[in-house]
Amino acid sequence: MTAAAIAARGLGKDFGSIRALDALDLEVREGEFFGFLGPNGAGKTTTVHILATLLAPSRGAASVAGYDIVREDLQVRRGIGLVFQETTLDRDLTVAENLRFAARLWSIPGRAAASRIEYLLRQFALLERRGDPVRTLSGGMRRALDIARGILHEPRVLFLDEPTAGLDPRARRGLWEVVSGLRQSLGLTVFLTTHYVEEAEPCDRVAVLDRGRLVALGPPAELKREAAVSSLEGVFLARTGHPLAEAGAS
Amino acid sequence: MGAVYGIVVREFVRFARQRGRALSSIARPFIWLIFAGAGFATVFTGGDELDYRRYMAPGLLGMVVMFGSLLASLSTVTDRDAGVLRMLLVAPIRRSTITLGKALGATGLGTAQALVVGVILLPAVRLWPGGAGLLLALAALAVSSLALGALGLVLAATMRSIENFAGVMNFVVFPMLFLSGALYPVRRLGPALRALVYLNPLAYGVDLLKHALLAEWMGAGYGGELPVLLDFAALAAFAAAGLAVAARLLAREGGVARAAFRERG
Repeated sequence: MTAAAIAARGLGKDFGSIRALDALDLEVREGEFFGFLGPNGAGKTTTVHILATLLAPSRGAASVAGYDIVREDLQVRRGIGLVFQETTLDRDLTVAENLRFAARLWSIPGRAAASRIEYLLRQFALLERRGDPVRTLSGGMRRALDIARGILHEPRVLFLDEPTAGLDPRARRGLWEVVSGLRQSLGLTVFLTTHYVEEAEPCDRVAVLDRGRLVALGPPAELKREAAVSSLEGVFLARTGHPLAEAGAS
Repeated sequence: MGAVYGIVVREFVRFARQRGRALSSIARPFIWLIFAGAGFATVFTGGDELDYRRYMAPGLLGMVVMFGSLLASLSTVTDRDAGVLRMLLVAPIRRSTITLGKALGATGLGTAQALVVGVILLPAVRLWPGGAGLLLALAALAVSSLALGALGLVLAATMRSIENFAGVMNFVVFPMLFLSGALYPVRRLGPALRALVYLNPLAYGVDLLKHALLAEWMGAGYGGELPVLLDFAALAAFAAAGLAVAARLLAREGGVARAAFRERG
């Protein structure tokens, strides 16, 4: 029995009269590659932001990396990496300056930070661009730098919120290679949100979310077998009665 | 503390990259000195002793501090648009640490710009305040920068986009400048405007700068008007209140796009 990297019980969030997330029960194991699949507006990002302590839950409780998301928010933030849908880099700073800035925010001592930054820049093929302002990087390179910064402090859990949005196919492939490399070398727990079924396919387990409710949870192969369909798209249709692609508000 | 340092360093690096911003902050007071100074000098009755441009010097330094630290704080709005604010919010630091870092960054930038301007301005208007005066001026610049930087953070937290900047200029920056004593003594204003002067942090900063730089003309009514300690206390109170409010506003910031769900409803 491995410890849970993420455990949520009855987790919910309302925005005014809108129930963004109903009552989520979820357990993600240490080292697991966990997919969170659902259309736009299903509540995926809301869930990630609650788990990352950026948003207070309206009800329920959760622990991430062993800490309570409400009472121990600083420890939670220390234990996680979060790559947002949109880049959060400072475009006017250089590649290396962005990483140094993050190292100071995460209180990584100077020398350790320098060698870690060097290592990551090499790993993500950004070494030659280290002195260039981020605004001169391609979309794929920015995403790589976002991820490099997300794991700078060696988190236990990495949240990737729709990480491939706006990337071309080559950059997407590069991204997945990086992620699978990280999982193999560090045993990192990865929590991925996506509305693309093909991205959820390689996950160890997938949670399917629709309109703030969990409609399915399990390994992709098992979910498909249970619903007697050949794709996760089919699982979504079987469980919700409407297709994944049209369910979103936007 | 590493985080506060990191935030301050970033503010300085960004400022150094923005040549135009640096140049205009240095040039602005001299444009006022030359054009506004020439006009007001003709109606100013400081006697032979105090010519208007010299009288203006403390006010101009106050103006540099105001623009310098307010603009630095208002960069929080662009930080929010560019996503950088989110990165700060997901770091393992308190909201108050972010606020303190941004405020100290604004303090450093505002003070540094005023120092650069001061080094050119004071000799240009032949103002030689002496060691004690210079020390008091330096303290006045730093404390005013902190108070105005904190105020700027509160403004930034309530602004949805930098496009509201024109509104800030009209309803905050210009009234603050004119009711600060930077351009004319405020003691002759009517009671209503005088009351506003006391609500204006820049007024206390300019008053301190007059204490520091125009001590010689205090008897003639052109020096500082309020006790030095009162000025410092008022600025400290503005800074503390601004920081507290800004940290509270920032705590509500983390949010996923609420708007995204409004559409869905």
